[in-house]
Amino acid sequence: MSHVDEGTLHAYLDGELPSAERAALEAHLAACATCRASLDEERALLERATTLLGSARPVERPAPPFDQLQRTPKPSPWRVRRAYAWAASIALALGLGYYLRNPRLAPGPAATPATVDQPVVVAADRAASERVSTREEKRAAPVRLRQRAADSLMPASADERARVALQRQTDSARQAPAIGVVASAPSAQADSVAPATTEALRARDSTAYAREPLRLEEVVVTGRAATNAAAAAPAPQNRLAATAWPIISRSAARSLLGTDPVGLPGLTTRRIRRSPGTDGTVVVEQAVDSSTVIQIIQRPAGTNALYDSAAKGYLNRSAERERADRLARFVGRLRVEITGPLSVDSLNRLLEQVAPLP
Amino acid sequence: MPDDIAEVYRNTYPALVRFLYRKVWDAERAEDLAQEAFARALVHRPENARGWLFVVAANMARDEARRAAREKRHLILLKSEPDAVPGTLEEDIDTDAQRTRVRAALEQLTPRDREALLLWDAGMSYDEIAAQTGLARGAIGTTLARARRRLVEAYDAGREGGQHVARG
Repeated sequence: MSHVDEGTLHAYLDGELPSAERAALEAHLAACATCRASLDEERALLERATTLLGSARPVERPAPPFDQLQRTPKPSPWRVRRAYAWAASIALALGLGYYLRNPRLAPGPAATPATVDQPVVVAADRAASERVSTREEKRAAPVRLRQRAADSLMPASADERARVALQRQTDSARQAPAIGVVASAPSAQADSVAPATTEALRARDSTAYAREPLRLEEVVVTGRAATNAAAAAPAPQNRLAATAWPIISRSAARSLLGTDPVGLPGLTTRRIRRSPGTDGTVVVEQAVDSSTVIQIIQRPAGTNALYDSAAKGYLNRSAERERADRLARFVGRLRVEITGPLSVDSLNRLLEQVAPLP
Repeated sequence: MPDDIAEVYRNTYPALVRFLYRKVWDAERAEDLAQEAFARALVHRPENARGWLFVVAANMARDEARRAAREKRHLILLKSEPDAVPGTLEEDIDTDAQRTRVRAALEQLTPRDREALLLWDAGMSYDEIAAQTGLARGAIGTTLARARRRLVEAYDAGREGGQHVARG
């Protein structure tokens, strides 16, 4: 028998050689030192290749329950949703910007309450496609986001409530960034999409609303309802600038937080940043995929206790509670928030998976 | 026979995720695609669910790659961001660099060699690989031998050529 080829040796090592061939091979190996040496080489090669492949495997996470799979034959869950959220957010920013660029045109009592109830996305889409159409439509989107809070504060007409809600939102834009799309747009150019950034940041609203004309440096569309209690605690400044925050090492993050930073264990951590202030806030940036980066904002739970307790009191109103709770949660002793250019649903889903980074 | 698929799901899901991961290089996406493949299997009830799943998964990954190619410009923009210098987690950098090298090495293989290797690594038998790739069963050993050798060689060449030197 001539020497054995490498394919046969690999099949043998893989345990896939039919038994007749295997017996013949083993007989040959017993008599042929050359082939025994080849076998050792191929075994080393095989093991090496297996190790290499093994070093490029995903972090294994348990499979979701099978019955869940049966319930949701989901076609590509968030690609679609994200595209949708994008379009909606930009359209919202556009509509708002258009509305805000001339506050004197703010709607009079002629607006009907019916517009208030228009669904957010419908309004947003229209705002995108018919930017010069009626203001009522453009206004409808933020109004619904804000309506509940406005209800509780202002026993005025629907229209008046709408205006107040918008103003409050404007103020909060100056004080604290908001979740959603932030379009950095001087008022005169507010209807240009160009400056829209993908940074999604979160907002805390303040009940204080100024009477000064609406002059926006940032048009902020929030995905979160107003909290009248939050006024008690000024939100950390400059969340908008989180991409300019200093990059720190992981050990620095650990000492700032007093514990391991948290994130999504399956994702690649791109960088960690810290707040330029003294509030101990740390931002972990992770890549969801090649083109999407999310930020996981975290700080020791005690840091902003005033806000937290005030917010909890407020959150007893259950409808608001659900929404607000799901954009922030506690992991160990950290209060964790999540932002990114994804839909709120996707962000919630990711937030649920946040854990101390290994 | 949903019970059968449930069984296949338990046994095959991690392997399918791994298989997909080496094609899309995104853990979350690989999981999404794997789940979608199983969801489709529930609708189609294929006879050989396991083989069917890998065929469907390979097709989905191919579509995904086409989509990724379309978004390549996006990716380049993102990559041009300055990387955090010392700072970022060293172990992550090591893992990432290693993964990148293996990925680059895998991409040096011919599609057929790579497919055979990934299928074997996902736990498929020679018979299954033959059915999936259209290769003769007798050629699988040779194909795998060549794939493994090329993988190791390409990896070593990449490591020598690269600037990074593997640690410890």
